[in-house]
Amino acid sequence: MQFELPAISRRELLQTASAGFGYLAFAGLSTAAADQESGANPLAPKAPHFKASAKRVIFLCMQGGPSHVDTFDYKPQLATDAGKGGKYGGSKLMPSPWKFKQQGKSGLWISELFPELGKHADELSLIRSMHCDQPTHPRAMTQMHTGNAQFIRPSLGAWTLYGLGTENDSMPGFIALNPPAASAQNFGSSFLPAIYQGTKVGKPQGRGPGGMRGGASGPQLADISNPRQSKQSQRNQINLIQSLNRQKLERDVEQPDVEGVIESYELAFRMQDTLPELMDLSKESAKTLAMYGINEEDTNDFGRQCLMARRFVESGVRFVEVTHGNWDHHQRLKTELPENCREIDKPIAGLLADLKQRGLLKDTLVIWGGEFGRTPDAPNGDGRDHNHKGYTTWMAGGGVKGGFSYGSTDEHGYQAVEDKCHVHDWHATILHLLGLNHEQLTYRYAGRNFRLTDVSGNVIDKIIA
Amino acid sequence: MMSRPDLKTIAFLGLASFLGPTSVGQDEQPLSTESVQFFEAKIRPVLIEHCYRCHSTEGQGVRGGLSVENKDALLAGGESGSAIVPGNLEESLLWNAINYQDFKMPPKNPLPKAVIEDFRKWIEMGAPDPRVNSGVVIHTKVTPEDIAKGKEFWSFKSPKKTEPKPVNHAKWAATEIDRYVAQSWDEHRLEPANDAEPATLARRLYFDLIGLPPSPKELDAFVASWKSNPDSAITQAVDDLLNRPQFGERWGRYWLDVARYAESAGKEVDMTFPNAWRYRNYVIDAFNKDKPYDQFVREQIAGDLIPTKDDAQFAEQLIATSFLAIGPKTLIERNPRQFQADLIDEQIDTTTRVFLGVSVACARCHDHKFDPIPQTDYYALAGIFQSTETMFGGLRSQRSRQESNLIILPLNDPNPNDKPISKTELASLKTQLSEREKEYAEARRAQRQPDKAKEGSTPRNGFLSIAVLDQLVAQINSRINTVDSDGKPLTLCMGVQAADKPRDAKLLVRGEIDQPAQEVKRGLVQVLCKDQVQLPPNTSGRRELANWLASRENPLTARVMVNRIWQHLIGNAIVSEPENFGASGPAPSNPALLDYLAVDFMDNKWSVKHIVRSIATSRVYRLSSAFDKARFDADPENKYAARANARRLDAEAMRDAILAISGQIDLNRPKASLIASYGTTLLGPNGPALPPGLNMAAMSAKGTTPGERPDTMNAIRAAGRNQNVNPFEAPNYTRSVYLPIARNSLPRALDVFDFAEPSLVIGSREASNTADQALFMLNNPFVIEQSDAIARQLIRSSSNQNERIAKAFALVYGRPATKKELRTATEFFRKADDGKKPSPAEQRLFQSLSQFCQALLCSAEFRLIN
Repeated sequence: MQFELPAISRRELLQTASAGFGYLAFAGLSTAAADQESGANPLAPKAPHFKASAKRVIFLCMQGGPSHVDTFDYKPQLATDAGKGGKYGGSKLMPSPWKFKQQGKSGLWISELFPELGKHADELSLIRSMHCDQPTHPRAMTQMHTGNAQFIRPSLGAWTLYGLGTENDSMPGFIALNPPAASAQNFGSSFLPAIYQGTKVGKPQGRGPGGMRGGASGPQLADISNPRQSKQSQRNQINLIQSLNRQKLERDVEQPDVEGVIESYELAFRMQDTLPELMDLSKESAKTLAMYGINEEDTNDFGRQCLMARRFVESGVRFVEVTHGNWDHHQRLKTELPENCREIDKPIAGLLADLKQRGLLKDTLVIWGGEFGRTPDAPNGDGRDHNHKGYTTWMAGGGVKGGFSYGSTDEHGYQAVEDKCHVHDWHATILHLLGLNHEQLTYRYAGRNFRLTDVSGNVIDKIIA
Repeated sequence: MMSRPDLKTIAFLGLASFLGPTSVGQDEQPLSTESVQFFEAKIRPVLIEHCYRCHSTEGQGVRGGLSVENKDALLAGGESGSAIVPGNLEESLLWNAINYQDFKMPPKNPLPKAVIEDFRKWIEMGAPDPRVNSGVVIHTKVTPEDIAKGKEFWSFKSPKKTEPKPVNHAKWAATEIDRYVAQSWDEHRLEPANDAEPATLARRLYFDLIGLPPSPKELDAFVASWKSNPDSAITQAVDDLLNRPQFGERWGRYWLDVARYAESAGKEVDMTFPNAWRYRNYVIDAFNKDKPYDQFVREQIAGDLIPTKDDAQFAEQLIATSFLAIGPKTLIERNPRQFQADLIDEQIDTTTRVFLGVSVACARCHDHKFDPIPQTDYYALAGIFQSTETMFGGLRSQRSRQESNLIILPLNDPNPNDKPISKTELASLKTQLSEREKEYAEARRAQRQPDKAKEGSTPRNGFLSIAVLDQLVAQINSRINTVDSDGKPLTLCMGVQAADKPRDAKLLVRGEIDQPAQEVKRGLVQVLCKDQVQLPPNTSGRRELANWLASRENPLTARVMVNRIWQHLIGNAIVSEPENFGASGPAPSNPALLDYLAVDFMDNKWSVKHIVRSIATSRVYRLSSAFDKARFDADPENKYAARANARRLDAEAMRDAILAISGQIDLNRPKASLIASYGTTLLGPNGPALPPGLNMAAMSAKGTTPGERPDTMNAIRAAGRNQNVNPFEAPNYTRSVYLPIARNSLPRALDVFDFAEPSLVIGSREASNTADQALFMLNNPFVIEQSDAIARQLIRSSSNQNERIAKAFALVYGRPATKKELRTATEFFRKADDGKKPSPAEQRLFQSLSQFCQALLCSAEFRLIN
């Protein structure tokens, strides 16, 4: 239904704003801070430090620690040494129950668990030498998102938004789709202004009691619609609010805070339309839906989220994170890992193909990975243990080399040995692809300048195309 | 005076995770060649082959908190106790484990008999272990000269009063404070703004002092009084407001911001702290009683060690020490040594930043980068906290690896939901506990060996059963632990106690727990001490730390506090980073004023109310915030306070004002806190993971395995469906300071309006304008409900629409509407009453009036204090 709305546009609003400060206080920056930002809306697109190859990010976060030796890190020696004691004795080495095959022109070795994704091998930059400092899930998840597991720190997405702003003024700039339970800190802005924090869309995915998988009644956002008023009636009300605000602005002459309030209502009003519209997949063609595996039993959920992620970044959202859970295969690896892989294989392949056909892949960085990997040996017979000493993540698009493999683990996949990539290096590289120097992207808090990579981090030049 | 033995503490589980000394004083004796050879030949290879995988930082983690990588680690042991007690087989848990007694290690197959014999021999020899960091000494690069020079830094010298000599605005100045401010205007060539209008001032005063707007009646009375005598009008109002209980609720909340107050552990495992609210009330009461600030400081650091005259006072002081216990905790951490090191780090960081405005925690890993604070100073403080036991409660479960005791208060004031348990019931709970524990152990075994699991149980159900059983065990424990052995509810609080034996901390190389270097004598921060300080050898030194923090000798304590008070009343702090008075921090904008306030504060028995009164009755406080281009250009940031700052209402003031205007506010202090009613439990993103009723249902349900109990499963499914209903969002009309503060699920009304991140020390909050705030104001049921309530009030008060509109403006804005605003309002009602809707006129009128009131609440005028 369409209404003829007496809405004033943002441009008109700015023209009516009597002082020339624009909406400089949108994020509540003090005058001093605003000066530093040279009067810009802190969410307005900002120039990167240098020419960027990636403009936006889709982060496919695999919660639980996917097994690298069964997916992207081919270890023939593991088959040769099957049954022998693993490192430090203990349980026996378990070869991957799945076959690996060279894929694409590049001949990257990828497991048969990813038949669809394997077709895109020539787009992937595998990082086979990842390592982090945390052996437990929540702490490693936190380190993957914030660089630090001990303190509450801003998330990778918040830093990105702080560094680059966003391109859709009707949408939040950083969206977490169906975030895992108890993960608020992984999407938070910590000491960065609240405007940079991730907006959670969708029901949190739980673990344990009360938070079972499935059953989500579609993603939601708090207070996104009015329980009582029609759109037109609410626009009428907002016009009253804005009229009162503009009168205050006239009386006060200079009042950046009022301009910030005005802007926030207009964005909220636009978001009420834009967000549900972007989340509505009904206008996508049957062909597109099929590409993502939507309406197929195993792939429907994740496929929808991947498609939504594409719609978000296409509309100008800077950073979208999509979570897929339950990769913690201590047991039943042989039955459950294929299920997990099936759930994401087609949706991710569809996402890459779709981004490519729309010309978006070249400047959209797609990142895939979990908080750590798994051990080559099998303490429980049919399952692998946590392994933060060596695992694999990959990137695609956004200016990384395709069909490329960086670094390696030892002959069994226990730990990264060659061209090691710590989470700090990984962060530094992601920021670099976005045109941000990780050493210069700082924020002053508690008397010192903080950065995502703390005092570490080296950009992995080799994966950059 | 109460003596220590009167104080009982309880252990929540048999094995308290408190650490014994890591040094047993044998480091000095050199090891014989034979014993080293024995270790290298017989012991080290076994440790590497059979233990490293799970018990070393080189393997997949430090399971059970135990690392076998070096001598210190073995002696320290893990969650269950020391792995090795030299010469004592019985006490050495490693011996217990390799013999498959209580523990079974290695888990798959026992070691060969001959190897076990080697271990016997080795332990009986005194467990000679060459893998020590002995002799590692980290030399600080901070020299005594650096420290001496550092003492000359402005904030590390004692504050001194100087005589203010204002020239240009000497006549303008009404109080001593004004004279210091006027003096700075001479220096920066500034002209003061006019005094604000009385109505503006009344609103400013009420919000600043009690966090609520003046009622229309109070407003009129103030304006009338102002007309006859502005000075006495202000003085009277200030005294009246300082004496209201709402003062402590407003100013106590500022303290709770810096004290990173919350009622749950936060981070990965958000366990409730059901007794944290006692500290919240303690803080509010302290501000209302005008407890001298030095005493307030002393009690929070060492209230347990200060002599008292009666039980009530002792209880109050014990509650005060919750300050050290309520910080965020990484309960998922398996290694108790890492947990303790992080806990102490959090205590050092918070204590130094809150009271001293300097961060000492940077020195955990290296010498302080900016201030002459050597790494050894950090470990001197760490020794004090290491000799202290922190009681934060918690419950051990699969996910929550750390727990501690709580303090039993000498009071009969248990949490309202903690009801007595009859002896039979208590016995039955204990039976259930042991049954569920048994089932849990079986389920774990089945999980490890899925082949042997019973037929018919699906893998997912199996997992759920374990998680549910784990929760049930924790919940039954939680219930049992709230009562004494007779079933009578206990009155508990968080806090600290002296550890059995004080001991110095070892400096840790780069802060790594497995890299200990030399021991550092307990002590204070050298650069902040006039003379060398000697702490007593037989106590922790915490009492001395408290006395030093709260002494006139300390150059920072008073300055840091008056700077905060100034900031809350004037808008800009004198030192603009209120927790950074060190060398990397900003210089004070008006050092003479800061020192005057600090000395005046101490001279007046550290009375917070005295300083608030002095500032609120000064002429600076009365200045108008009206915009003037020349004045703005001369001092864009308003560092020198020649005008007032327009300020945003913070989350609490905004919510409380909405409730006050709607007439629905409940000014009574609620008993305890909503979180207390859930007991000790894990929180999910939407409140408790398991609702309390469910636990009881699940506990009493009969069945062979929990996965088959229909009641349990139904209840859990129901809980799953209700995950979007957060009990912390339930309607609540008390003041916002009493809302439940769970670190990972803050009430939305606070969260969206820049509430202080409860895991950080927050001296000044952000003030952002986000779309989420606008969505909250436009669409949240709370705002709509309050708008309805205001509309009903208006309809009751008058039948004339114009009168109602005028009254709405007066209620929400605290001033009459302008002509233009009235026209805008009339226009709104004309459009709203287009008459297209089918509803009756009366209902349409009510709804449009409610929407109108909501619009006033949404508008910038309501959110900004001029």
